[in-house]
Amino acid sequence: MTATKAPARPAPVTSPPGLAAARLLRLELRHNAMLWMMPVAVALFWVTAGRKIMATPPLWSLRAAGLQPNAVLAFASPVAGAAAWMGSRESRRRTTDLVNITARPRPVRLLATWAATTCWALVAYLVCVAVVYGVTAHQATWGGPLWWPALVAGASLPAVTALGFAAGALIPSRFTAPLVTIAAFFVLALSTQLIHGSQSYWQISPVVAAPWDIGPDPSAGTFYAYQPDLPLAQVMFLAGLTVAVLGALALPTGAGARSWRRSAMAVTAAGLLAAGTAVALAGTGRLDSHGMIAIPALHDAASDRPLRYTPVCSHTAIPVCLNPAYASYLPATEAALAPVLDQIAGLPGAPARISQAAVAYRQEPGNSVGFGLAGRAISGAPPVFHLLLPAELPGPAITTTEQASQVRSITGPNVIASVTGDGPGASQAQHAVTTALLMAARAVPSHLQPAGTPTASNSVAGPLPGVADGERYVGAAPGSPAYAAARRFATLPAAARRGWLVQHLAALRAGRIGLGQLP
Amino acid sequence: MTTDETRAAAATAPAAPPAATSRAAPATAAALGTLRRPRPPRAGARLVRLYATSRRVPAAVTAVAACAVVLRIALAGHWDTYGALQLPLVFETAAATAITVTVASPLGEPERLTGRWLPYLRLTVTLVLTGVAIGALAAAGTGAHLAGGTLDVLRNVAGITGIGLLCAAVINSGLAWIGPVAFLPPGAYALYTQWHHPALTTPWLWPGRPSRDLGAAICAGLVFAAGVAVITARGARDPAGERD
Repeated sequence: MTATKAPARPAPVTSPPGLAAARLLRLELRHNAMLWMMPVAVALFWVTAGRKIMATPPLWSLRAAGLQPNAVLAFASPVAGAAAWMGSRESRRRTTDLVNITARPRPVRLLATWAATTCWALVAYLVCVAVVYGVTAHQATWGGPLWWPALVAGASLPAVTALGFAAGALIPSRFTAPLVTIAAFFVLALSTQLIHGSQSYWQISPVVAAPWDIGPDPSAGTFYAYQPDLPLAQVMFLAGLTVAVLGALALPTGAGARSWRRSAMAVTAAGLLAAGTAVALAGTGRLDSHGMIAIPALHDAASDRPLRYTPVCSHTAIPVCLNPAYASYLPATEAALAPVLDQIAGLPGAPARISQAAVAYRQEPGNSVGFGLAGRAISGAPPVFHLLLPAELPGPAITTTEQASQVRSITGPNVIASVTGDGPGASQAQHAVTTALLMAARAVPSHLQPAGTPTASNSVAGPLPGVADGERYVGAAPGSPAYAAARRFATLPAAARRGWLVQHLAALRAGRIGLGQLP
Repeated sequence: MTTDETRAAAATAPAAPPAATSRAAPATAAALGTLRRPRPPRAGARLVRLYATSRRVPAAVTAVAACAVVLRIALAGHWDTYGALQLPLVFETAAATAITVTVASPLGEPERLTGRWLPYLRLTVTLVLTGVAIGALAAAGTGAHLAGGTLDVLRNVAGITGIGLLCAAVINSGLAWIGPVAFLPPGAYALYTQWHHPALTTPWLWPGRPSRDLGAAICAGLVFAAGVAVITARGARDPAGERD
């Protein structure tokens, strides 16, 4: 018997796994429904969010906090629909049996399709973020982009595509894609209905960019650093959800080898664990005094320190200094307060500076949130009057004209009241002098203003801007003896009025001056 | 093609005798009327049943009923102003979308060429489903505070269904849901801007207008009429090689 050598079987031609995966992804990118859905998503974003965001004042906090929920809501429907459509492709085109015999296991094929869908969704989203942040960078006077809100909205897209894709792949039907899109909108838009207070598990929803009870906080990230506690939990939840859903795609029998299913089970469990942990963490959040949600397990105490900034100041008799983020409001604020400041400049006890302060928040029962100044309106040596700009209070954004009007009619009288000691328990003479100085300054008396700043946010009860508890202008009621005395005092020459105040202001503040002692 | 779909294709075809071949057709066209066999009893009902089955109408009716039930349950809960206003719109859109997806045909060109009753079937089924959706959602709001009331349901369901039907005719029957779904966020936003000005007041975004607003009703009605007309006359654009 002679042995013959058979020719060796040629080795199969294989390409590196990474290259093959990239090629598969490229094919999926070229044949993806999300590519055609991108204009729809961008148009929806612009109609429902872009215009609204760009109409807000150019503050990073407002623009970023507006971007997150609006982008999530605008993108959720088209992205979920496209993902469900792609997920049901094999069944719809009756190619399931055909592709099941290919070399790639089903989970890998599905993953490539999902990745392509997510890529296009992220591209569309990043275009929108680039426009909003680019314009804001051009308009903002101070600060930099807040990336966490943009990251949360971005992280919600893979989760939405994973959920939609899984629905399409597991329940392929002509009803799946439309119902998934509407369910996505319903869950995201109305999930916030369940939020009560700052310790709510539902804050994990990616449409929550700030404490839901107060809405967008204009002062976030201006006086104190933006707290990433809640965004961290949200990103963790979204990532966990994405991983869990993608892992679940490989769980059904027939999806692949047993080893694949075992790995998928582990991945799904890990994802669920991460998502559950994030929800639990969100439930431990509390509203901190700076108006942001602090989660003890994720909180960095170092971020509670005030931010350093160089204020921008006016050239009035008493300088008005604002946070540079609000520099665009300075001319209007200066013009509104100048007549009042001229009346009190140089008087004993008059503030040496009007300085913008941060809003202090406190959670109250239910969905109510209180906010105001942290301390007294006037303090320090030399005395500084702490001002809350109406524009930095939570609630609907206001125009520069509205802001100036509120400063003139509310803050101005309160600045004078802080010098004369006027307030609810003050003497008639103090009421009269305060009113007289306002008359001399031709400022609008605001004693008919209702207490509390009306806001459209959820049950937010707040103080008048620039007012601390117990320090509020009362003034003299028209027709009263104090009002008559005020008119008499206001008609004095400015020099005489000032001379009298320099001599008697301390006694007036102490309540030792009677109405009859006024000149 | 499933058994039901095959039957539907056969049932919607004209009742020509099997012997009538294409070669003989020109010559015998005039005589077909006399040769036609008498229609079996209840053939019309069978035709409608098979058409409805092929279009997944029972599933659509189930989806509409589910929308009504969930809306009813949701209305029993506590909602703030935003939620109370937007809630009905979400379910109206879902119901309209369910109607829209029934226009997709799994049979494609053969049925289109042979089914002379198709326009009537499309018209009837669309109108009946729209009526069922309006009735179900209005009934769900009975005894509860349904924002906008029945008139809002009527206008919104009809208008959004019209958008879906137009999309089915223009884009693709499988992707007809894009129209209603894309209309939902601007519609909800139009409701939102009633509180947060500047308000979107165009009647083409009818969900944001009051229920008795004539302009909005006309716009929604026009869209519905256009959608029904196009679907009745032309049918949906069915993608080749795809089903369900």
